[in-house]
Amino acid sequence: MREKITNPDAIRTWPGKVPVEYVYTVGVASEPFFRALMERGRLLASPCPECGVRYLPPRLFCERCFSRLEASLELEPRGTLEAFTVVHVDLDGNRLDEPQAYGLVRIHGADTALVHRLAASDADEPEVGMEVEAVLLPPAERTGSILDIRHFRPV
Amino acid sequence: MPERVAIVGVGFSDLRSCTPGVSYKEMMFEAATRAYHDAGVDPRKDVHSFVCVSEDFWEGTSIFDEYVPDQLGAALRPVQTITGDGIQALCCAAMLIRTGTARVVVVEGHSKYSDMRTPHHIQQFAMDPILNRPLGAHANLVAGLEMSRYLYESGNTREQCAMVVAKNRHQALLNPLAAYGARITPDDVLAAPPTFFPLGELDAARPADGCFVMVLAAESAVRDMAGQPVWIAGYGWCTDAPSLESREWGEAAYARLAAEQAYRMAGIASPLRDLDFAELDDAFSYKELQHMEALRLCRPGEAGEWVEDGVTRLDGEFPVNPSGGSLGVGHLLEATGLHRVYETVLQLRGEAGPRQVPGARRGLAQSWRHVPTTTGAVIILERE
Repeated sequence: MREKITNPDAIRTWPGKVPVEYVYTVGVASEPFFRALMERGRLLASPCPECGVRYLPPRLFCERCFSRLEASLELEPRGTLEAFTVVHVDLDGNRLDEPQAYGLVRIHGADTALVHRLAASDADEPEVGMEVEAVLLPPAERTGSILDIRHFRPV
Repeated sequence: MPERVAIVGVGFSDLRSCTPGVSYKEMMFEAATRAYHDAGVDPRKDVHSFVCVSEDFWEGTSIFDEYVPDQLGAALRPVQTITGDGIQALCCAAMLIRTGTARVVVVEGHSKYSDMRTPHHIQQFAMDPILNRPLGAHANLVAGLEMSRYLYESGNTREQCAMVVAKNRHQALLNPLAAYGARITPDDVLAAPPTFFPLGELDAARPADGCFVMVLAAESAVRDMAGQPVWIAGYGWCTDAPSLESREWGEAAYARLAAEQAYRMAGIASPLRDLDFAELDDAFSYKELQHMEALRLCRPGEAGEWVEDGVTRLDGEFPVNPSGGSLGVGHLLEATGLHRVYETVLQLRGEAGPRQVPGARRGLAQSWRHVPTTTGAVIILERE
């Protein structure tokens, strides 16, 4: 092996790809959450009867104490901005033409938080602790998805 | 009483930002050959069990664990792959020995990151399909959000995070394995283009390819080995809830709990007094600070000042990431923790050359499985 490759294009590779498609079952606890969001523009949460943690979106079980839960709270889509980031890079590693802000929003009356888009204008620089509200799609355009929330914006 | 367990041999394949010339199997063979030579063992005769770490999507092959035996000398032998960081594989190997199931066990982890055409898509595929993926954003938005919350809660600053980057990339210049050693300043880091604000381009560890293999042995088997033993004093690992909605955002709870388990096992009451240095996860600049606080090396909110005062530099009172960390060495997927252990072993054997921590007797290595996970592992090693 006295000869060495100096041109990387001459190194043999073999391309491969795999088609990956799934459907994901939403489940007993989250089904009513998406229905309430679509039909009434409200957010459901499930409080734990044992340890008191209020989950939004609702869950069938408490991750802290393992109790069984029911979605019994209906909350306004408003909350506190707990953290924010501004994303400048897309999934192929390229820079975005328009950076997009995202927030971690704790809905009033819940103990968990939603990650969603944040509408930011120059006048409203995001700030941890600020009050934000959800802007929903018009009722006719909603499909029962997390994207029925268009984004959160400062109040 | 379970037997004590030592790491008696370590081997690597060269770490590079890309490795077009060798296949992953050849990298594993190279690292394994070095490790077996270091320990003085023949894998076909002297090793009783093999533990690897990998993820099918990173490898591009389903049921990838079936593809590991031959290049390790492990065909027709007990082999298993766990999905986790390499330190979790070391814990598994130590348990095989402590339970008397095997006396000599080999651990392997590697990264062939540069073979992936769509790594960011794969990473995003690890997020919740119903609540998070529809947003269509790069998964590292999780790191941006976490840094935002961590800085808010701890009072540490972006400037202090930038000092971590400068420190680690500078320290990596003394490490011949490191792929990303560089002389940069905190100002360079702050001036780099934003990626996931408050993170900028230089705040994130860049990927590297490479492989690590380690040989572990029961105390009763160590005397037959050529290698200088480094003893496993304690270990622990922990996973928080995966959901972005309910996880801890400010504090690295997974690291705190993994460390508590390891400290208990090693009989460590005061980590700062009882350890000489630490290799901590620094996949993102703020992570080193967050993990220092989670591991009780300093009080919450104090890590930034420590970096500012040079305490964690190679020549400081408590060196953190003498290897250069992931920022300086490169992010190695599941092999990241094994790189940290490799450095810890070299330090404790006194073989770390120009980056040797003088008189190092006991060190700690900690890993995190990167975005979007909440899994951390800790291992404490000591010399006789």
